[in-house]
Amino acid sequence: MKPLKLLLLALVVICFTNLTSAQTADEIIDSYFENTGGKENWNKLDALKFTGNLDYGTMKLPVTMIQTKEGLTLISADIQGQPYYQTVYDGETLWSTNQMTMEAEKSDAEATANYKLAIQDFPDPFLNYKDKGYAVELMGSETIDGTETFKIKLEKKPKMINGKEEANVEYYYFEKENFVPILIEKDVKIGPDAGTIGQSKLSNYQEVEGIYFPFSIIDGTKAQPGGQAITITNIELNPKIDTTLFAFPEKK
Amino acid sequence: MKKLFLTILALALIPVGTQAQEITLKGKELFGDMKARHIGPALMSGRINDLELHPTNSRIMYAGTAGGGVWKSSDGGATYAPIFDDHVQSIGVVTLDPNNPDQVIWVGTGETWTRNSVSVGDGLYRSTDGGGTWKEIPGFEDSERIASVVINPDNSDIVYVGVLGALWSDSEDRGVYKTTDGGKTWNKILYVNPSTGAGDVLMDPKNPNTLYVSMWEFRRSGWGFNSGGENSAIYKSTDAGKTWNKIHNGFPEGKLGRIGLAVAPSDANRLYAVLETEDKTKNGLWVSKDAGSSWEHLNNDFGLVVRPFYFSRITVDPRNPDIILKGGLSGSISRDGGKTFKNLGNMHSDIHDIVFHINDSDIIYSGTDGGVYRSWNGGTTFEIVENLPLSQFYHISTDNAEPYNVYGGLQDNGSWWGPSSSPGGVEARDWNSVGAGDGFRVLKHPTKNIIYSEMQGAENVWRYDVDKNRTKTIQPLPKKGDAELRFNWNAPMAVSAHVPDRFYMGSQFVHKSDDMGDTWTIISPDLTTNDPNKQDQSKSGGLSVDNSGAENHTTIFTIAESPLDQNVLWVGTDDGNVQVTQDGGKNWNNVTPNLVGIPANTWVYHIEASVHGKGTAYAVFEGHTTGDMKPYALKTTDFGKTWKNIISDDIDAKAFVRNIQEDYENEDLLFLGTEFGLYVTVDGGENWSHFTNNMPPVAVHFIDMQKETNDIVMGTHGRGVIIIDDISPLREVNQNILSKDVHFFETEPVTMVEQGGFSGNFGAETQFVGNNKPTSARIIYYLKKRHTFGKMTMEIQDMEGNTLTKLSPGKSKGINVVTWGFNTTNPKMAAAKTLSFGGFTSPRVPEGKYKVVLTKGKDTYEHIIETKYDDTAITTAADRKNQEKMTQTMFDMVEDLAYVVYEIGEMQTKAQDVIDNNPKGEKVAQNLYDALEDLRTDLVVTTGDNYVASAEPELRERMGELYANIAGSYDRVTGAQMQNYELIKEEFEAEKKRFAEIKNKEGKKFMKFLEKNEMELEVESKEEFLSDK
Repeated sequence: MKPLKLLLLALVVICFTNLTSAQTADEIIDSYFENTGGKENWNKLDALKFTGNLDYGTMKLPVTMIQTKEGLTLISADIQGQPYYQTVYDGETLWSTNQMTMEAEKSDAEATANYKLAIQDFPDPFLNYKDKGYAVELMGSETIDGTETFKIKLEKKPKMINGKEEANVEYYYFEKENFVPILIEKDVKIGPDAGTIGQSKLSNYQEVEGIYFPFSIIDGTKAQPGGQAITITNIELNPKIDTTLFAFPEKK
Repeated sequence: MKKLFLTILALALIPVGTQAQEITLKGKELFGDMKARHIGPALMSGRINDLELHPTNSRIMYAGTAGGGVWKSSDGGATYAPIFDDHVQSIGVVTLDPNNPDQVIWVGTGETWTRNSVSVGDGLYRSTDGGGTWKEIPGFEDSERIASVVINPDNSDIVYVGVLGALWSDSEDRGVYKTTDGGKTWNKILYVNPSTGAGDVLMDPKNPNTLYVSMWEFRRSGWGFNSGGENSAIYKSTDAGKTWNKIHNGFPEGKLGRIGLAVAPSDANRLYAVLETEDKTKNGLWVSKDAGSSWEHLNNDFGLVVRPFYFSRITVDPRNPDIILKGGLSGSISRDGGKTFKNLGNMHSDIHDIVFHINDSDIIYSGTDGGVYRSWNGGTTFEIVENLPLSQFYHISTDNAEPYNVYGGLQDNGSWWGPSSSPGGVEARDWNSVGAGDGFRVLKHPTKNIIYSEMQGAENVWRYDVDKNRTKTIQPLPKKGDAELRFNWNAPMAVSAHVPDRFYMGSQFVHKSDDMGDTWTIISPDLTTNDPNKQDQSKSGGLSVDNSGAENHTTIFTIAESPLDQNVLWVGTDDGNVQVTQDGGKNWNNVTPNLVGIPANTWVYHIEASVHGKGTAYAVFEGHTTGDMKPYALKTTDFGKTWKNIISDDIDAKAFVRNIQEDYENEDLLFLGTEFGLYVTVDGGENWSHFTNNMPPVAVHFIDMQKETNDIVMGTHGRGVIIIDDISPLREVNQNILSKDVHFFETEPVTMVEQGGFSGNFGAETQFVGNNKPTSARIIYYLKKRHTFGKMTMEIQDMEGNTLTKLSPGKSKGINVVTWGFNTTNPKMAAAKTLSFGGFTSPRVPEGKYKVVLTKGKDTYEHIIETKYDDTAITTAADRKNQEKMTQTMFDMVEDLAYVVYEIGEMQTKAQDVIDNNPKGEKVAQNLYDALEDLRTDLVVTTGDNYVASAEPELRERMGELYANIAGSYDRVTGAQMQNYELIKEEFEAEKKRFAEIKNKEGKKFMKFLEKNEMELEVESKEEFLSDK
């Protein structure tokens, strides 16, 4: 963040009411990009590699997450020296590790189709959101984590859920003081938590080569927040990618 | 942006006063991430007011509940989740926009089946994003109860709203309202008078300009109910509400009561009405086959005439106009157009709404006093939805067990007790029944395993001996010369803190027993106003007599014994009297005239006798049964001679108060139970904060503070028992703390609870399971500002500063609570083909002091917490020390093995590299590789999977299991474990020796080869290897 913006942030608080009354969703999103490195920088991103730790009970599992503009993705954790892949996409197949056999298995067709829809979220769903066919709406203000936020609805293209098309909506809560999202909420549609509201809390925003990312992500549900913490230790922008990493390993 | 910046700069330059300003944090800003937890129960669920199905997607349905908000099911009714928790929880109606049912949901608040204990609503709401966000529609703030919302299927901007309106007072906010601009502006298009409201508003299924409305004249008071009058009627409009005509052709003359109305979706001419009339033979079901031009009487069976104010709902099968469902005590179904009915299958009684599945009439959903039920066979068999924790408590109490139990009585669902925490969470099976009928106060004997409970009007008061499973009926009975006893529906009971067997009850008199209810003495005169005008309930009900006892009045409602003096007793009555005795009942002082700001005869709902002074007490008053919704709470410190108002403007003007709980340590810390949730003050009532963290604005009927845990336990009327764990940080909140960037709150040394049992959770997939109180250490701190930018971390260190484990700190503005389960990190396990589950266990720390180190940017904040062993430990101090020592020994051994396997792996990798790339060294490398592989396969599992194709356990697996069993045990290390340890240790020593020999033989040759060829084998040191776990 440039010095000017830091000063701006400090001052925003002073005439906070004046500012907030005039906000539109687009202004908030623009401020977000402005305060986190500028759209120009964001648009230069082709790939991101995150390394960090995932809290799993009393264990800290080393995790790696790679995402590319083309949609290649890989989330893996190391458990006792074994790689455990959770979401890997090689351009065609979405797959993960079966925890019984520790071997790769393809995700179901619907999950794969829904994943493909989400490819264009990279590097941030709000970046050029109109081009992506997404819609945003300012729903109002809410106090989250004791602080005032703007609630913005992000509607993406509908997803298929167990054979039925359903709206694909996420809510982002942008802290008024600095215009970065500190909470993301979405309806959980599948799995044991289906029917509940999933929450991801974002904090520890830090700069990496001019762009600010949250280095702490805590996932949970609205009724039981704070389930699982991911602490990012390093982010590489546009790293060299070995595409063979993503390939679905055929069973031996 | 630049311009904006300049403006800001200019503003910043305006001089600002430098004097310190008082920081007043309200609501979420103060409470941060301090959260309530819900423990249900859901096994008896609670009253449902309205059911709504999605018109085309059979997976989606909604339940509008009497006191627990709106719940949505996305799985065809198997489970539900709440979607309206930021708003008033009493719901009248839920309606989906037929043109956009996925997104647009209307909710009219205020339940409409107007029993004595109903909650109130505060208007009309709409979501345009499927329930994610709600906005209030202006104009209905004073509607109190909304019964109908009807949307024109051809034009979503045209909406009709039927407002039943105020139950306890006149109001002009009633009748039918219409908007033609999607809710921006409204016109009242049908209004009769201030006591007559709109019930069912129906639209002709083929012609949206044709409307039917049932109007109802009704009124409730604290001592009576009237249903019916000249103004109850059915109206029809054929011009979209411009003009209305009564359609009563065929009905008997005279007054009408509540009317249930339905039009057959498959035949627009077929109307059904359920009437309450002056002629009993004409009550019940009527049909019109000509769209209301004429009516024919069909049936006045019990199921059709029972309690019209409570059960006036008829539903016609969407595919067959002759199949009709009727709500009622049991619910009934007709398959011959209403001529005959049979009862529906067994389910909770009192059916308020009932609907057919959108595609299959065999499937029926029913909303009862005990939750939502489903039938798959046309209404013969019903099963309950198990995850709707809507229980409606009138009262709760707690005991001193560990974990403590919660006791309470429920609307139409008896009395129960259950644990505040239970293995696997608080489930339905954890709750125990301790009373029938409607349940109210349930109290544990202070020293014996005996529970007192009661049913409505003290018809029965039970003393239940839990150990012997014996029940005795002990209510006070009149003896010769006594006046007739008047007990409230919710009759007061109290146990003595000074004399354990002492038990009080209140009629119009205070009754005292010193032998647990076997014999009673009246120790007061009639403490009520004894107003005869409020004592004739035999005529209550209006057209249909409804003398259930619910309207009994001029009774004592609350009895409070001073915790400091057994002779000081406070009494509050439902007709507004506050009375106090300081001599155990010999003399009573009516201090009612000393009250300030309380209208005469306002119900004294609760008196809290303070621990902070003999003459100190709090009294809360509520006048909602006269239409006065204002919050009232007073404090006295001089036995009621003078009183001080402790309500501030922070409290919603309609949030009438039913309960107050003081803190036992900080006199200024108070908790207020209101119709719209919980309020908290930390400054004796100057400022109040609405507590909304996982706490909906549900009616809080009773609050108890559990003394050992400092938990606030709330009996809510619609969301069961809700607990805020350990409120002690709130005792410390002051200006000094609020001005700091970070402040750690002091906590008592925390017991490391030693418990480990089983909790088979079969069936929990679709059941509500209440959250447990964490048994971990709670690290509680205040942050002045939400932490968003920069690094913030937290770790636990020993007192020498060695890191034991890292935690995820809360970053909320306000109070944060982080838990630590007393564990350090897991051992690093040797890499293998499958997982060693022993490696999932981490050692517990010994008792002692530990540093919590919070790093926020460049600043570091430290706080010391102390842990202690469990008093209930089953081991000796010496055995525990040995267990801790053996845990460490095994931990180190497990990591030693991990390092050996790592070294082997690195050497094998290098050997493979040579095999692949250096033919000259192939043999030497292969020899080493093979020797190492032989060793490795004895050390760790190298084949199979984590399930049934698993390989035989090798050294790692056996070592890991022994480690985990010792580390996870709360008992001494067993002889068998020690023998097993010797075996594993010996085996490991032998394998290490084998490894040394390989290194010395094949390894040496290989190393020589590498040296000769200027190659290197890079192996991390053990410290390096272990540091990145």
